[in-house]
Amino acid sequence: MIKLRNFFKSFGPKNVIRSLDLDLDSGEILTIRGKNGSGKTTLLKVLSTLEKPDDYDLAEVDGFDLVSSSEEIRSRIGFLSHNPPFYPELSGLENLDFWLDLHPGDYASDYSSELLAQVGLVMFKDDMAGNYSRGMIQRLGFAIAIAHSPTTLLLDEPFTGLDDEGSQIIEDHLIRLKGNDCSVLLSSHDDISFTDRTLELDQGALK
Amino acid sequence: MNPIIVLLKKELRVEFRTLQGIVPAALMSFMILMSLKFSIMDSVVIEKSGILWVSVLLTGLGLITHTATREIERRTIETLKLAPITRYQLFLGRAFGSMILLWILSTIIFILYSVLFENVFSDEWPLAYLVVLVGCIGISAVGNLAASSMTPMYGGWMLTSLFSIPILLFTVIEAGIKCTDSLITDSSDFQIALTLLFLYNLVFVTGGAWLSEISD
Repeated sequence: MIKLRNFFKSFGPKNVIRSLDLDLDSGEILTIRGKNGSGKTTLLKVLSTLEKPDDYDLAEVDGFDLVSSSEEIRSRIGFLSHNPPFYPELSGLENLDFWLDLHPGDYASDYSSELLAQVGLVMFKDDMAGNYSRGMIQRLGFAIAIAHSPTTLLLDEPFTGLDDEGSQIIEDHLIRLKGNDCSVLLSSHDDISFTDRTLELDQGALK
Repeated sequence: MNPIIVLLKKELRVEFRTLQGIVPAALMSFMILMSLKFSIMDSVVIEKSGILWVSVLLTGLGLITHTATREIERRTIETLKLAPITRYQLFLGRAFGSMILLWILSTIIFILYSVLFENVFSDEWPLAYLVVLVGCIGISAVGNLAASSMTPMYGGWMLTSLFSIPILLFTVIEAGIKCTDSLITDSSDFQIALTLLFLYNLVFVTGGAWLSEISD
């Protein structure tokens, strides 16, 4: 669940997000569309706590303030970057296990393998991630984003580099997560058929 | 598992899969020691331990800069920053990971130094080796703090060393040299110098953790 009121973010003199108001309810999928440079990635990065907002009247994820409760928020969100970072010297399984080790929780011993099987990577789980193709990295990034059962999912162009099967896997997962009351905010250039709402971001303001 | 241990294990696993940091740093230290071996003729300098510490400082900072730059260039630093861990845990995990790598590098340097400079420590070499390992704690703390603030900047790989060397030179390195020199000359300064070295390490580790936390 996300609530933003009068939300601002700039880089130097450039205002990237201007007086933005946004509500995302539990179990809702919201798509943000916009041209390159419209502020989609910046909005997702600020919500993920990777960037700090300049000013706001209200900025909450699950009722927690974005700045003062950033650690709590990081445990609740899943973030898939446009170009997901990974350790090429580690296998897909090790990359996922490393992420889970940083998130407290009781996970079954085969949880990571099962998750990789769900995104179609189980055959390649022991291969070094440095040898993965672009689409496989995107699948691994998505598995990492959802691994710790986040309540809010932030996805920056999640279908980039994916084949039809990969896109379908992510779509199925998002519909399932929506059923589990997970809020999903995603940015995309394409039409998303399963989204509940679509908003247009233009020069940092929603339309 | 404690996130500091998780980060430490990751740092070591990533390095040992490729050895991209340790091997070049060890080769560089060999070059430095060889250069000094054949360029310094003053027996007073050769009979003291400054050369050992210069080699540890320069190549150690190079190794830390390499691991920090690797994390920034691959943007895996974003993965670490997205984890629900405090910034001081992130700092300590990375600093202790670098410290272990520095211990391995220092062991190689110590062996090379002992061979090239005919073991100036004689029977006291185990104690001298331990002092070098203790010194690595402070080098790792300052190096990581500098690297985390400098590597995102242009020329960050150079700025890390430029920022760290003046801080370390008059603290950890000076205390370390006094310690190891006192082992060579059999002077009574060893205890005081070692206490000073521990205190500098404590200040840099706790200061680094605190600065990481408040800078978030």
